[in-house]
Amino acid sequence: MNTTPEIMIAFNLDRALKLLSGEKSAPLAGGTDLVPGIHQQAKRFAAIERLVDITRIPELKQVNVKNSGTTIGAGVTFSEILTHPRLGSEYPLLTKAAATIGSVQIRNRATIAGNFVNNAPCADSVPPLLVYDAIVRICSLKKSREIPLQEFLLKPYKTQLQTGELVTEIFLPPPPQNFGGDFYKLGRRRGVAISRITLALLLQTEKKKISGLRIAAGAVTPIGRRFYDIEHQYVGTEISAAGLKFLAVNVGKAILEETGWRWSSPYKLPVTQQIVYQILCKLT
Amino acid sequence: MKYITLTFSLNGNKISLKTHGNRRLLDVLRDDFGLTGTKEGCGIGECGVCTVILDGKAVNACLILAGQLEGSEVVTIEYLARDGKLTELQQAFLENGAVQCGFCTPGMLMSATALLNEVPFPSEIQIKEAIAGNLCRCTGYKQIIDAIQKTAIRLKK
Ligand code: FES
Ligand code: FES
Repeated sequence: MNTTPEIMIAFNLDRALKLLSGEKSAPLAGGTDLVPGIHQQAKRFAAIERLVDITRIPELKQVNVKNSGTTIGAGVTFSEILTHPRLGSEYPLLTKAAATIGSVQIRNRATIAGNFVNNAPCADSVPPLLVYDAIVRICSLKKSREIPLQEFLLKPYKTQLQTGELVTEIFLPPPPQNFGGDFYKLGRRRGVAISRITLALLLQTEKKKISGLRIAAGAVTPIGRRFYDIEHQYVGTEISAAGLKFLAVNVGKAILEETGWRWSSPYKLPVTQQIVYQILCKLT
Repeated sequence: MKYITLTFSLNGNKISLKTHGNRRLLDVLRDDFGLTGTKEGCGIGECGVCTVILDGKAVNACLILAGQLEGSEVVTIEYLARDGKLTELQQAFLENGAVQCGFCTPGMLMSATALLNEVPFPSEIQIKEAIAGNLCRCTGYKQIIDAIQKTAIRLKK
């Protein structure tokens, strides 16, 4: 039998960082991606010789909601996010996305950082985290640093994380006031499905004008991403059915620019545009 | 690589096991302990036939490595019926025709048991949510949901 990787449990952050400092070590949390990958001897995990279980580290399990912003420990599971007394009212798009992830069994294990740390395009929590301007906090034995999530995500399956570094928590600035918003996910079926399209949208209106707008998509784009250009273009504009339609069409165009024409485009593009439009209509 | 020695609780017994840490809990249960009520279907966390209760929560045994078990408490389907007496839930599955080929049944029972431990009187939506990660090819879910609902009512009395 294949005897690598070896598994070690770290009970505190220091120990985890020490164990992770070697080239061939990787952290293991919920394991919903890693464990089947290791079992099937997937190439992308082949170089790992040591897995460090980080699920017992108290520092990584905390959620702190404060007026100055919220921190969510990297090892907080989606079940814990869903049952948290305040996250749902402060960051409703995040909890809505969390509820669509996997099944109860998966949510009991899968962690928030585990969802984006491999930068799979279909990570459902990414679009909500992006519209809430999430910042990723990272530690290694030598230093700690903070990076906005959008910059942390480099390209499919590639992030800024370096050898020896561990994502320790996610910081969310206080939620924007007087915003409405929604999260949408399309998969091939309702339960336990890998998403094909995810969208997160926050909108603020004032005197029939758009005064704030944040849009992010996942799964339809190579990696989860915000549409800053479109956001800037539309803030300050008058709200009208035609205007909202154009906005939705433009989101579709921006996605197409990034992905190029794919076999699935004739289906996904109009669906995405229609959903953006529907969300906008609902919020105005 | 050396073997590791794990201590954990399995179906109420304290276990000390020498093994490779990178084996799946699913394989440890089936191959080392002969607990074959925990099945393997997809092996990737989608079908739920491998559901066990780990530290009070329903989890997929195909997604957990032996090396992660130290100090935890594992309960499998074999620990539901005691001394030949079925639990209310198992009885209700039989009475409501919730078992056909039976392959999904252990996983369904474990998910539903975890639910009833946490939420004594779940709504139909909560029941559906709790078993959304358990696939059944035969009975069509209705009977399974009925069985869980009736158990909740019976236990409440
Ligand atoms: S075998 Fe574990 S979920 Fe299918
Ligand atoms: S009874 Fe056959 S799969 Fe459910």
